[in-house]
Amino acid sequence: MAYAYLFKYIIIGDTGVGKSCLLLQFTDKRFQPVHDLTIGVEFGARMITIDGKQIKLQIWDTAGQESFRSITRSYYRGAAGALLVYDITRRDTFNHLTTWLEDARQHSNSNMVIMLIANKSDLESRREVKKEEGEAFAREHGLIFMETSAKTASNVEEAFINTAKEIYEKIQEGVFDINNEANGIKIGPQNPMPGPTGPHNAGQAGGSCC
Amino acid sequence: MNFLRGVMGGQQSSGVQPSGAETIQKLCDRVASSTLLDDRRDAVRALKSLSKKYRLEVGTQAMDHLLNVLQTDRADSEIIGYALDTLYNILSNDAEEAVGHSRTWSLLPRDTAESEEENPQAQTDDLGVQFTEMFIKQQENVTILLSILEEFDFHVRWPGVKLLTCLLKQQGPQVQQIILVSPMGVSRLMDLLDDSREVIRNDGLLLLQQLTKSNAAIQKIVAFENAFERLLDIITEEGNSDGGIVVEDCLLLLQNLLKYNNSNQNFFKEGSYIQRMKPWFEVGDDNSGWSAQKVTNLHLMLQLVRVLVSPGNPPGATSSCQKFMYQCGLLQQLCIILMATGVPADILTETINTVSEVIRGSQVNQDYFASVNAPSNPPRPAIVVLLMSMVNERQPFVLRCAVLYCFQCFLYKNQKGQGEIVATLLPSTIDATSLSAGQLLCGGLFSTDSLSNWCAAVALAHALLENSTQKEQLLRVQLATSIGNPPVSLLQQCTNILAQGSKVQTRVGLLMLLCTWLTNCPIAVTHFLHNASNVPFLTAQISENLGEEEQLVQGLCALLLGICIYYNDNSLESNTKEKLKQLIEKRIGKEIFTEKLGFITKHEFYSKAAQKPQPSFSSPDHMMFDHEFTKLVKELEAVIIKAIYKSSEEDKKEEEVKKSLEQHDNIISHYKNVIREQDLQLEELKQTVSTLQAKNEQFQTTVSQQVAQIQQHKDQYNLLKVQLGKDNQHHNSHNSNAQINGFQSEEVSRLKEEIEELKKQHDLLQGELSEKNTLIENLSCNQAAGQTEQTTGVSEQVTELQKEMETLRSQLHVQSTEINRLQAERMELLQKVEASATVTASGDSASAASKNNDYEEKIAGLLRELSSLKDEVNLLSVEKSTLKRELDSAHSTTAILQDEKLKLGQEVSESKKEQDDLLILLADQDQKILSLKNKLKELGEQVDDEDDLESGDAGDEDDLDEEDSRDDDM
Ligand SMILES: Nc1nc2c(ncn2[C@@H]2O[C@H](COP(=O)(O)OP(=O)(O)O)[C@@H](O)[C@H]2O)c(=O)[nH]1
Ligand SMILES: [Mg+2]
Repeated sequence: MAYAYLFKYIIIGDTGVGKSCLLLQFTDKRFQPVHDLTIGVEFGARMITIDGKQIKLQIWDTAGQESFRSITRSYYRGAAGALLVYDITRRDTFNHLTTWLEDARQHSNSNMVIMLIANKSDLESRREVKKEEGEAFAREHGLIFMETSAKTASNVEEAFINTAKEIYEKIQEGVFDINNEANGIKIGPQNPMPGPTGPHNAGQAGGSCC
Repeated sequence: MNFLRGVMGGQQSSGVQPSGAETIQKLCDRVASSTLLDDRRDAVRALKSLSKKYRLEVGTQAMDHLLNVLQTDRADSEIIGYALDTLYNILSNDAEEAVGHSRTWSLLPRDTAESEEENPQAQTDDLGVQFTEMFIKQQENVTILLSILEEFDFHVRWPGVKLLTCLLKQQGPQVQQIILVSPMGVSRLMDLLDDSREVIRNDGLLLLQQLTKSNAAIQKIVAFENAFERLLDIITEEGNSDGGIVVEDCLLLLQNLLKYNNSNQNFFKEGSYIQRMKPWFEVGDDNSGWSAQKVTNLHLMLQLVRVLVSPGNPPGATSSCQKFMYQCGLLQQLCIILMATGVPADILTETINTVSEVIRGSQVNQDYFASVNAPSNPPRPAIVVLLMSMVNERQPFVLRCAVLYCFQCFLYKNQKGQGEIVATLLPSTIDATSLSAGQLLCGGLFSTDSLSNWCAAVALAHALLENSTQKEQLLRVQLATSIGNPPVSLLQQCTNILAQGSKVQTRVGLLMLLCTWLTNCPIAVTHFLHNASNVPFLTAQISENLGEEEQLVQGLCALLLGICIYYNDNSLESNTKEKLKQLIEKRIGKEIFTEKLGFITKHEFYSKAAQKPQPSFSSPDHMMFDHEFTKLVKELEAVIIKAIYKSSEEDKKEEEVKKSLEQHDNIISHYKNVIREQDLQLEELKQTVSTLQAKNEQFQTTVSQQVAQIQQHKDQYNLLKVQLGKDNQHHNSHNSNAQINGFQSEEVSRLKEEIEELKKQHDLLQGELSEKNTLIENLSCNQAAGQTEQTTGVSEQVTELQKEMETLRSQLHVQSTEINRLQAERMELLQKVEASATVTASGDSASAASKNNDYEEKIAGLLRELSSLKDEVNLLSVEKSTLKRELDSAHSTTAILQDEKLKLGQEVSESKKEQDDLLILLADQDQKILSLKNKLKELGEQVDDEDDLESGDAGDEDDLDEEDSRDDDM
């Protein structure tokens, strides 16, 4: 149960793109073809290992509908990472990315790591959005990109873990203020103060400390 | 507004009204029009002071102005503070109450709804609601209030918190919605928990309680904002259950966040917060402090545990929480309270309920619970102690219900537990020495207390639920009634009591037990029908036209009869399905039967019991239905009615269909069995494989260990060999094993040399002695006689010594042959060891095990030989020491001999000297004699030379000898 760090994630994106399925695949390693519509927000958790360290991921899966947008916004500030998901078989979900990104950037802390996820890669025959388009969007907005399938589990682990790696690197670089839990990062119990970020140079890029 | 006026007119005396209203109007005008902040501030302060007394007037006239102030005068915290206070006084109904009442700590929800007509408070409540509506009509008023709460100034933040709490109390859902959509609304309110001023933190708790009430979305956001961590920290800081009202408020907020909110429960569990609950229940056994607050806190803590394992939660969620509660020791802690003394009854009751739900359906937890003993002397199982309370009339009703619940939860989906309980009643396993659960249940079943009857019947029914094995086992139970009468079966005794027409509660309990027992158990049905009086009793009960009181009993009798038909295997000629159906038709009528059966589900207590597993009744009289039984009724009602209405032909057809189905079933079950068997075999084989693998591994380790051992032995033998070789180089006669007894070959050779030396000396001495002997013998007889005697003693000793030497020599010879033999054996052993080592090294691992055995034997043989060698060496060493001793004595003998020899030598030389002297004397005398002879001859005389000489010689010599010894003494 002991962990070195705890990261909070949120999963956002249009309804039906597979957010809940991605979470279920990651936490329970299973796929549910018929999944209930998410009402508000649902919680999931899992432990991963990065750099030999145990990291607990707490993930909040949000509802995509407009009516829940204001609720979703309450989760941005406290999250260290966000998975922004679209469905490669539905172009409109790709088109809405800009809106999602604006919303996220407006309400989150500036260091939040955002991973762009092109889901349902198993449905190649019905593809409407090319991989290159997703890559281009990610490059343009400074996001990490990955194509996944919640059904086949392809790249699902990687998506969650790579996001955690990015956050972890930011901590090592001193970008994150790990003492402020509002950033969605918590140091595990009985863990000595790690990283170059001291309590007073909060938020600043620390560079090398010695 | 009309309404407000009406209230105002009714409450205020006509004399006060105008002046108050006028003053207020003037103040309002000043607030609205004055350009000076000081002026406005004074006016608002004045309004504040009037706001309690003239609540209605200030509310109606000043509300808008006050709201304006909040917007425009943000910079001045003082005026904002007054405005907030005033608004609070207007909106809040508590403000008035608070004057006279302090908070009460009842466990009831604080917002207990009461009917309006009866409560004079209702009208003022409405006033608060009305003003609140006015306030929130403009959503931005709430938004402004939220932003004002960011102000750190105590005089702003505190009234702000109270005002918002008040708004939430009056118009919860609307205010919640506004806060939810305003950016960061919820998380800003969460920051109140971090306020260093306790008043604000504590009132912040009350605000959050209102905020989270029945709003899952807000509950989740609050949890997301680390509420669990913060609240648990506060509870810990405040001393857990020993803490004050703050702890209570934290617990209420936690309950709001977790109750019915699966997502938050999951978050709570995943956040490892369950283990933080354990210290809550570490309440010492000192009984010193059970203050009202502590009781309240503990009660809420217990309820919080129950929220996480409620039977209503998704099964997976509850079971994982149950698992954690066992793993972190929380269940164990609860069981300590359960068995402790001096715990207040309501805490004890709630603890029992909590333990019930923590173990319900969780095998591990149930097993643990079964193992808990009360710290009594002798220790009794907790289950027995609890059941004693259940069938004890003097215990509080709620406690007895809790115990029943606990017992039910213990048996829920617990075939093992069911078996254990039933076993305490069976003749073969009954334990007469101590009170058992079964005895207590039987005692309760047939006691005079109807509540005990009911509880025991239901408890026993739970030992049978979905468990046909135990249903059949229970048929074996025999009861001793009175002396002289034969024992009667438990089933029979139940029907006997039923027929006696005891209290409704008793009969309902027994009928529920019988229905549960006979369901799905044709053998039990047969047993029941075997008693000829049972069916007539049931039909009589059902067909009679009895009062409302008896309707439930009639319904249950109909159900029991229905079960006797539905689960009848036609094994009794007199009571086949068909015959029983005909009986219903003739004696009761199908319609009436159906109607009576319907009495059960239509009963007023039925639906309440169907809601949740916990038995809870507003009064003991209402204790009629058991939750599990309502489920049974739901399943059976329809199938029984169908069975009753079916014609005999349909029945027959169905029977045929059933038979063919059964055949199919048989085939399927046959295959299933085959598969199961194969599965078992597979499993067994798997196990065998794994044990074999484990064994193989074990053997391999043993083999390698033994190889290492053999290597060790080999090394040792090599060492020995080298040592032996060395020994052999030194002298071929002695076996040396330095490791065993430190035998020293050098010593032997030294001894030998010494002996040799001694021999030489001895020979020398002997030579000398014999020389001297002859010499002395040549001297005088006296002398020779004395000397010979002495020499004989010495030579005797020497001969003895020589003999000893001889024995020593032969012993040495024996030892050397022995050593040769040992050496040969050792060589042989070495060869064997080497051979076995090579075999082990080259042998393949499969046969290694068997070879190992050989090696082990060989090694054992070697070891045996080694030990015999050791023995022999020991023997040798003993012999050696004997030899040594003998040598020592030889040494001393030699020393004595040398001494004597020395003396003899001296004597010899003395004798020589004497001889020389004598010779000189003789020569002198010869000379004298010669000269005398010559003189005599000259004188002319005849002389005999020889005779004179002879006699003279002997006497002189004696004298001389004496003189010499005298000289020696001097
Ligand atoms: N083929 C395929 N279907 C998916 C995948 N992920 C989700 N789905 C389906 O898409 C639908 C919506 O998924 P859901 O997780 O509820 O979407 P959400 O609204 O974003 O949470 C469901 O019917 C899923 O079975 C995927 O990777 N491949
Ligand atoms: Mg969803």
